[in-house]
Amino acid sequence: MSAYGVSHHMGIDGNYPVLFVIWLLPLAGAILNWAFGPQLQRMSAWLGSAVLAVSFIATLAAWGIGTQSSDGALGAHQALFSWFPGFNFGLLLDPLALIWVLIITGVGFLIHLYSIGYMWSDSAIARFFAYMNFFVFAMLTLVLSDNFVGLLVGWGLVGLASYFLIGFWFFKPTAVAAARKAFVINVVGDVGIMFAIFIIFARIGSISFADVFANPHALDPWLFWTCVFLFIGAAAKSAQLPLHTWLPDAMEGPTPVSALIHAATMVTAGVYLVARCAPLWSASHDAQTLVGTVGCLTALAGALLGTAQWDIKRILAYSTMSQIGYMIMGVGVTAYSAGVAHFFTHAFFKACLFLGSGIIIHELSDEQDIRLMGGMRQRAPVAFWAMLSAVLAISGCPPFAGYFSKDRVIYGALEHGYVWMWVVGLITAGITAYYMFRLFFVTFLGTYRGDLDPASVGVDREEHAAHQEPHHAHAPAWLMAVPVGVLGVFSLIGGWIMVTPSSPWAHFFAQSFPRETLPPPAISEAVTTALAIVMLLAGAAVAYARYATAPALADAPERLRRETQTLPAILVHLYYFNELIDVLFVRPARAAGAFFSQWVDPHFVDGAVREVVITNRFLGTLVRSFQTGLLRAYALIVVFGAACFAVYYALAGGAR
Amino acid sequence: MHASLLPAAILDYISLSFVIFAIGVAGVLLRRNPLIMLMSIELMWNAANLLFLAFARAWLNNAGHIFAFLVITVAAAEAAIGLAIVVVVFRSRANVDVDEVALLKG
Amino acid sequence: MIEFAILAFVLIVSAIFVITASKPIYSVVGLLAHFAALAVMYFSLAAEFLAVIQVIVYSGAILMLFLFVIALLSSGVSPFAEGPNRLPKIAVPALAFVLILLGFCVYAAARAPVAANAGAVSASIAGPVGAANVFGSVGDFGRALFTVYLLPFEITAFILMVAVIGVILLAGDATPYVPTRRRARLVEREMREAVLRAGEE
Repeated sequence: MSAYGVSHHMGIDGNYPVLFVIWLLPLAGAILNWAFGPQLQRMSAWLGSAVLAVSFIATLAAWGIGTQSSDGALGAHQALFSWFPGFNFGLLLDPLALIWVLIITGVGFLIHLYSIGYMWSDSAIARFFAYMNFFVFAMLTLVLSDNFVGLLVGWGLVGLASYFLIGFWFFKPTAVAAARKAFVINVVGDVGIMFAIFIIFARIGSISFADVFANPHALDPWLFWTCVFLFIGAAAKSAQLPLHTWLPDAMEGPTPVSALIHAATMVTAGVYLVARCAPLWSASHDAQTLVGTVGCLTALAGALLGTAQWDIKRILAYSTMSQIGYMIMGVGVTAYSAGVAHFFTHAFFKACLFLGSGIIIHELSDEQDIRLMGGMRQRAPVAFWAMLSAVLAISGCPPFAGYFSKDRVIYGALEHGYVWMWVVGLITAGITAYYMFRLFFVTFLGTYRGDLDPASVGVDREEHAAHQEPHHAHAPAWLMAVPVGVLGVFSLIGGWIMVTPSSPWAHFFAQSFPRETLPPPAISEAVTTALAIVMLLAGAAVAYARYATAPALADAPERLRRETQTLPAILVHLYYFNELIDVLFVRPARAAGAFFSQWVDPHFVDGAVREVVITNRFLGTLVRSFQTGLLRAYALIVVFGAACFAVYYALAGGAR
Repeated sequence: MHASLLPAAILDYISLSFVIFAIGVAGVLLRRNPLIMLMSIELMWNAANLLFLAFARAWLNNAGHIFAFLVITVAAAEAAIGLAIVVVVFRSRANVDVDEVALLKG
Repeated sequence: MIEFAILAFVLIVSAIFVITASKPIYSVVGLLAHFAALAVMYFSLAAEFLAVIQVIVYSGAILMLFLFVIALLSSGVSPFAEGPNRLPKIAVPALAFVLILLGFCVYAAARAPVAANAGAVSASIAGPVGAANVFGSVGDFGRALFTVYLLPFEITAFILMVAVIGVILLAGDATPYVPTRRRARLVEREMREAVLRAGEE
């Protein structure tokens, strides 16, 4: 055991075939769907879901080996191969990875099942499931890797899968642009992780987690910068400020993609990275402050943006950004268990929200603007009840899942001495309740407004047309209802395993994370909980007053139109982040490109090429003049050479 | 001492050999009939041989004889190959002027 | 000394004749005289075996080869007709320069102190030319060739073999190789057709 309470053995070595089943089955599914898509047609959807089901069952079967512990080693470690000294690749399934694998395969399976219904009439359904399976494989590579390079490989593949899926409807220019944006920002994160790996390898000479975590201070004085570079990767993947702008745009993908990748799994990779590198963060207080601050600000910023959106998926996207901010804040301030807990519950209720919104979008023939919804309670009862559960969960209402995890994160910030984060976290909880209930009330209550003139509720017609999903025919309803229902139930009960300090959850991670004994903060956990509930009630009450009272419902179109016109410009323009990036990076890059293409390229690059041509032509002419084709001229040259030798020998002989 | 075994001074042999060699070189360079060129090359071989034998006699070392023998063998091989080339060139062009055989001109 | 002078004169004159003759056949005659004189000079240098070889190989074999080729080519139409002289004008002065250079080297080499004899094969010096165990005799040469210089000797055999193969490839039958049985079938078919044609006529 190291000084940080974490085993540096990290997994009991052995052969664990079940890991390969979990890991490689989705890849096999992806390859089959890719290769035989035209033959499989809709069968590919069942195939893609089936491999996920098997993978999930295998994960449950691997529960035992994932939680085993012996002599300080925790979990299962399967060596794969060694590239060169310090580059040993392997698979590691410990409780942290196990939680992620469970969510990836479990929630992933439900979303796959849902996708069968959602994508039923899409002609490229096989390609869709190939991408989805490939994404799951990439994500599993990321979380099962036992070293930083394997993690980076998974990290990059996940970004690639995300690119494929956001741009799945490649005939939509907005989707292609969003895919490119997501990919570019993700690569910024990849480069950050790469730099972290450079530092790690230079200082420690090994890339495996076990060697690095055995003594984090071997990285000094670069420990903080290692954390910063790792966090750049985490921020890009998890849509933290200021690298968050790709996430709302990523909603151009099909709704199940938004649920799987941009809510439940991929965007939480940053949380996983920080939690995985817990020994590094525990060793660097500056890194804790930085990451906690970024997470906290992201939570607040995302929540504020969520209040000013009308597209149902964009509201959920900003909500995702905000919730991941909570997680990052949790793991950042070293409340690892709390951050991971929020990931666990968030996966259920956010997937439920996305899938429920997908049902509504389907029901309304691809309408996404909540101003044109209303009265959906009657038309989509399953979505209503499931999303009610999820909304209560995300708002932190006891006894729903989010209540337990969010409180733990907020309290964790206080516990570790960050009082302002505690305050901001509580405020954000209130805002969260407001915008989620706003979404819920506007969507489900009142009367259907889709028949009205869009302008009468404040919808900008052109913008509205650009963001619609392609039309879909309907599939068996249960295919979409069952996963939503299951996730709704889990949104209720998912947090119950972490009720008390001696809960199964606490027990589960007992050995995983560094622990420090902290003095109890001035404000107790009970007070925190009480305040959180007060905030929740306040937020929900405001939302109720504005959208759900009888007069508000009666006057809904007019009120929505007025609200659209009076939204604060800074929120409508998303804090001008896109404009800022445009000014700071895009325009200088364009200018540099113009400079290079119009000046450097013609004068230097082409000039160098021309110079090479001229030189070679001159040399060729020179050499060519010897090639007369005249035998006798060649003979003369030979004689001349022989004479030179003779002279040399005569002189050398004379000297001797 | 041993040099007395030579019928003439070693310098005479060297000079004679050089003159014959020079005549051979001139023949190769100035004639355009490949057969005469080949014969000039034979002259050069023989000039070298003469020198080998003269020095062998001067130093009483019969290694020179062995090398002269080797030279004769190589000369025979060279003559055979050279004449074969002449025949091939003649077959393809009905003319054996070496200045006309210049397809490799750069 | 006088015999050397006579032989040298014959050698130089015949060599000049070789390169100045108007027809290759005259050159062959000049070369024959050159080789004959050279053989005599070899005798005077106590290289009797090589003198004989000189006559047999050069005069007997190589010159015969030249004669055959001349006969072969002369059957064609003006094989030795010459086009314009394309040798660059610089060639003659260059040649003169090179030869002067070589002459200088010869002079320098001749002026150099003669190294001590480090004979590989000891042979008796005395005795009449041609007698056994005397320098340059057939026995002396043969012993050296088959003992100390066996490897060079075998290499000469290899060189000759390569030359033979090369000549066959260069000047041999240009038609591709056809297996015997197939060739036999072809011949048989040609004969049958010939018979049929004869029958028709």
